[in-house]
Amino acid sequence: MRAFFLACLLGGSAVAADSDFFEAKVRPVLAANCYGCHTDTQMGGLRLDSAEGLRKGGKSGAPVVAGKPDDSLLIQAIRQTHPRLKMPPGGKLKPAEIEAIAEWVKAGAVWPTGPAPVVSKTPEYVITSQQRAFWSFQKVRKPAVPVVKSAARVQSPIDNFVFAKLEAQGLKPARPADKRILIRRATFDLTGLPPTAEEVDGFLADGSPGAFAKVVDRLLASPQYGERWGRYWLDVARYSDDKLNSTQEEPYPNAYRYRDWVIAAFNSDLPYDTFVKAQIAGDMLESKDPLQYLPALGYYSLSPEMQDERVDATTRGFLGLTVACAQCHDHKFDPIPQKDYYSLQGVFSSTELSKEPLAPKDVVDKWDAEKKALDKADAKLKEYVAAQTDQLGSILASQTARFLLASRGLGPADDLDRETLERWTKYLASSKKDHPNLARWFELAGRNAPREEFEAAAREFQAKVEDVNEEKHLVDDKNKIKLGLDPSRNDMSQADLFSLSIDNYNFWRDMFSDARSDAGGALKTSAGVYYYSGKQIDRFLSGEWKRQLDALRTTAADLKKALPAQYPFLQTIKDRNPRDLRVAIRGDVNNRGEVAPRHLPSILCEGAPKPFSNGSGRLELANGIADAENPLTARVIANRIWLHHFGQGIVETPSNFGNMGARPGNQELLDYLAASLVEHGWSIKQLHREIMLSSVYALSAEEIAANVAVDPDNRLLWRANWQRLDAETLRDSLLFVGGNMDLQAGGPPAHFDEKNRRRSVYGFISRRKMDSMLALFDFPNPNNTSEQRVVTNVPLQRLFMMNSAFVEDQASGLAKRLTGTDDERVRQAYRTLYGRAPNAQELQLALGFVKKNSWNEYARVLLNSNEFGWVN
Amino acid sequence: MTRRDLLHTMGAGFGMVGLRDLAAAEFNADPLTPKAPHFPAKAKRVIYLFLNGGPSQVDTFDPKPKLTEYHGKPIPAGNLKTERKTGNLLKSPFTFKKYGQSGIEISEIFPKLAECADDLCVVRSMYTDRPNHEPSLFMLNSGEKLPGRPSMGSWVTYGLGTVNQNLPGFVVLCPGLPVLGHQLWSSTFLPAVYQGTYINTEEKSSERLIQNIRNKSLTREQQREELDLLAKLNRGHMAQQGSDPQLEACIQSAEIAFRMQAEAPEAFDITKEPAQTRERYGDTDFGRGCLIAKRLAERGVRMVQVYFGNFQPWDNHDDIMIHRTLAAQADPPIAALLHDLKASGMLDDTLVIIGGEFGRTPVVEVSGLIKVQNGRDHNNQGFSYVLTGGGVKRGTVYGATDDFGFKAVENPVHIHDLHATVLHLMGLDHTRLTYRYSGRDFRLTDVAGTVVRDILA
Repeated sequence: MRAFFLACLLGGSAVAADSDFFEAKVRPVLAANCYGCHTDTQMGGLRLDSAEGLRKGGKSGAPVVAGKPDDSLLIQAIRQTHPRLKMPPGGKLKPAEIEAIAEWVKAGAVWPTGPAPVVSKTPEYVITSQQRAFWSFQKVRKPAVPVVKSAARVQSPIDNFVFAKLEAQGLKPARPADKRILIRRATFDLTGLPPTAEEVDGFLADGSPGAFAKVVDRLLASPQYGERWGRYWLDVARYSDDKLNSTQEEPYPNAYRYRDWVIAAFNSDLPYDTFVKAQIAGDMLESKDPLQYLPALGYYSLSPEMQDERVDATTRGFLGLTVACAQCHDHKFDPIPQKDYYSLQGVFSSTELSKEPLAPKDVVDKWDAEKKALDKADAKLKEYVAAQTDQLGSILASQTARFLLASRGLGPADDLDRETLERWTKYLASSKKDHPNLARWFELAGRNAPREEFEAAAREFQAKVEDVNEEKHLVDDKNKIKLGLDPSRNDMSQADLFSLSIDNYNFWRDMFSDARSDAGGALKTSAGVYYYSGKQIDRFLSGEWKRQLDALRTTAADLKKALPAQYPFLQTIKDRNPRDLRVAIRGDVNNRGEVAPRHLPSILCEGAPKPFSNGSGRLELANGIADAENPLTARVIANRIWLHHFGQGIVETPSNFGNMGARPGNQELLDYLAASLVEHGWSIKQLHREIMLSSVYALSAEEIAANVAVDPDNRLLWRANWQRLDAETLRDSLLFVGGNMDLQAGGPPAHFDEKNRRRSVYGFISRRKMDSMLALFDFPNPNNTSEQRVVTNVPLQRLFMMNSAFVEDQASGLAKRLTGTDDERVRQAYRTLYGRAPNAQELQLALGFVKKNSWNEYARVLLNSNEFGWVN
Repeated sequence: MTRRDLLHTMGAGFGMVGLRDLAAAEFNADPLTPKAPHFPAKAKRVIYLFLNGGPSQVDTFDPKPKLTEYHGKPIPAGNLKTERKTGNLLKSPFTFKKYGQSGIEISEIFPKLAECADDLCVVRSMYTDRPNHEPSLFMLNSGEKLPGRPSMGSWVTYGLGTVNQNLPGFVVLCPGLPVLGHQLWSSTFLPAVYQGTYINTEEKSSERLIQNIRNKSLTREQQREELDLLAKLNRGHMAQQGSDPQLEACIQSAEIAFRMQAEAPEAFDITKEPAQTRERYGDTDFGRGCLIAKRLAERGVRMVQVYFGNFQPWDNHDDIMIHRTLAAQADPPIAALLHDLKASGMLDDTLVIIGGEFGRTPVVEVSGLIKVQNGRDHNNQGFSYVLTGGGVKRGTVYGATDDFGFKAVENPVHIHDLHATVLHLMGLDHTRLTYRYSGRDFRLTDVAGTVVRDILA
């Protein structure tokens, strides 16, 4: 009925508009011949399996003009009268089939399964007030400081917020930590290294009320602070010194400049809002020094490459929002319309990679020109040698019959090239008797035939060699015409080329090709009998030819020698012609929907988001994220800072502050920290001070049975957590106490080998192959932004500590530092590692052990101890 | 709270803190301790023989008479889109024969494996979402086209732990590295304990196969003395500073490591096998890999993945004849492994999976990236996988590609379906094997996957 109605509208004829006609004569033909490419695959953007597809058409336009078969692209294509579109490819429909489809178009091209569903515009996404009321989307307001009973222990408002929660549950905070424990905790926290014995002694001796504040300030001022806290940020930034190239190593040689910038930013206490803005839009920030913020763009310019995860890194990293979940559909749990994903993606697709040379223009221009000249000279040399190789092959091929005969002693060998003759003999010996072109020769050899037969066979074989060589040249020439000069990889992969048959190719390869390695090296073929290249070619050339070769070689070698290392540069990004993206429906990039103007995520805007108008919009995005009024940014970073002090975030999903993320264990505390951060000009160091000078920070790890019963996970922070040294801290601390640490800061990364004694943050971080020790101790995979480390405990870690050469080296380094009597040595070891004296039992155990075993072994035992590997 | 819930909490990114007390037992125990499956498992362990590069289905396990008949002609319906330009149909240079009672047709290049036909389940209707190596390698190994998801072996060991605490639970063997390398067995956001332990089988000395497995300067007795002193110091430390299950766990794992030193090198030492056995597997990289896989499976390793070779050997764009050479290396050890597992009864509870990241086109590649046109381009739309062992229906063929072997048309099996089925055989419900990361429950099968019940015994 509906079909009939539509047919009437289109004014179709009765017969061909009938659904029976369609089902009998049209649909089966379309299905058999067109659906292969014009359903889900949508070649040319066209679907031919629905009324809607027919109506919408593809890249070439609508396929059908109802009632006018001659004007319809579909009919022109299947009649193959269209200049370009001839369908189906590689064949033509039967005349009766074409006729039937034309008839159907003439009758109105009615699709009988019913009219296309009424396509209404996607309803505008509306964020409800309930969604807006979610805790993390509420503006940060500094909460009132609660009154607590244990006021005597309050050092900071932080304590009020924590103690209030404890008191509500009837819990008591643990006793304060010993001063020795406290300085060890603070030193690891802020620098990732243990305190020296002198530092511990100094703090123990300082009885002034501000003694600990002095320690904190000293640590915050040390260069090691930025190395520790910069590294935390590098986890979020998925920092790596290389790309995830699937087939070979591909380093980012200047990546370290971003790493060093991050470390310097922490050390100089760059306000966090500027820190954020620099990474998103450092090329657009005002600064006296034009290079001040450019290195920060590494956050994007050093992306993993195999996927575009810039929206993910931006929103999870800075905002704790999982916008990437809205790539294929509206976010299932958070108020993030799919359009928001493309809105942000539009900002990044309006941005491109760039380089900022760190050398004067003349140096850069000179180097670029010299490099270009070298490339050109190399290409010229290569081309010349290839031409000689080819020419020589043809010349030798014309002597094939003589080589063959000489190989059996049936002809003179004196004036033939000796090496080639040897190759021939080898080739004949290694060839199978059923060799397609040599079978006759082997047959003759088998029955020791008369010379004339051999001579005839040799001539015949030579003709074949020369034929295949000529055929190869012809094919190459034709392909060159097809491919054009300097085709791209994509052009090559899509080109429809000519080829020798496999037998002829194999024959040609045996004669003229260079050595090949196929199948991952599983198969190797040696060089062809007539193939000479590189230095091998020299002895065949003389006079002008040789002189020309030598000249080309000299030029290339001189240019190479003269070319200095490339000038340093920053890997950056810059705007390119800004444009909005269209939404990819269900994430399918071939199926684009409405335009998504570039703007901030809707949930961060009151009312309709204001489209970005300045270039790509990065600066507007940066300002929007770093806005003090943004409800997420300050909370997210305050939570990250808290996490790394306590081993546990107030929000336990540090990069997800949405509905599926954890709720804050103590929102007042988090809001207080966030507000305080902004109040103090986004100073991270001030936030450290505020946290570390609280009583909560200084609690001991004391176990209180009553508390354990109520809050076994210490969610309320009634005591300090035990924290294992992470991969870098473990490695650095081992080097440090082994007396082997090189504290040189910054610069290019070095691989983690035995010579590398620098801090781990300066080691080569690879997306392709993570260093095995880092991986063993839970270093995050740098292909994605990482919110926090997961801590595992496995025997392989113990094997590393018990047996590795690295730990052995540090143990022997530590042993060497111990001098004096046995008793004195043990005391020194305890001071160095733990900042305390051994007790009587420990001393006795040590003295007993070293009577039988070496000091190296003793040192290794101490390095393996929990007291060394854990902080409380 | 179940054990799984505990583990779940532990993994939720609480770091050390989620592990206290209630969860203490979990951390105290090695996270690789065997765990009960969701339901009784048919297979207790997996051996995944990965023919990397993309073996051609129409030259191995999916015979297509029409392909021979129409050799040299264009496909009437046109070629499906693959990575590179392809041309007309290219018949297989190899012949197929029916084998065993089941009459499964297998190519002449796998004569030994063919003799096991009645034990095999050939799935001829596999497909992935992309015709390129990297996304398909990621898909087969982690269910997702892009990096960032845990590998199947990581999921399996996360779900089940492993029986032998003296060996890693998930071992990956490869001479050199496949394309994408270590990313393929990464645990990504699952705890690192579940990542694959990679062994380069080019290295023939078993002692060098596992890092730090031996102390080069100490005798076992000397090392025992070190560990005894360590244990005493650690106990003293806990007495002074308060005990904690995590500290206790570190003491335990040192003891496990000590025992591991004795057992692990032996497990990797194939010279312990009779010469006749070694001969059957062949003195090739893949042969050694399969033999080590057998020894590891015998010792309770949960999952062993053996890559065929460095880079991507089966990627024969130029000349499909190379498949013959590769199969000559692959066929004997696969057959020997199946034979040995069957003889020891282990085939009944060991799942063996054989296949690559995708198949190849039935049409010849004609692109400019090749030297000669006798090979096939990548084909993700239809290819074969061979399964056998615990819980798998034997002597059976499942699904089919179209007449030419291009696209899976009958009972198509997506990678998610394969993964769901593998987990099912291991006693795990793929919808319940989840890990909460950054606020979301992740699965190996993402939001898809159906167990292929028709191939279950």
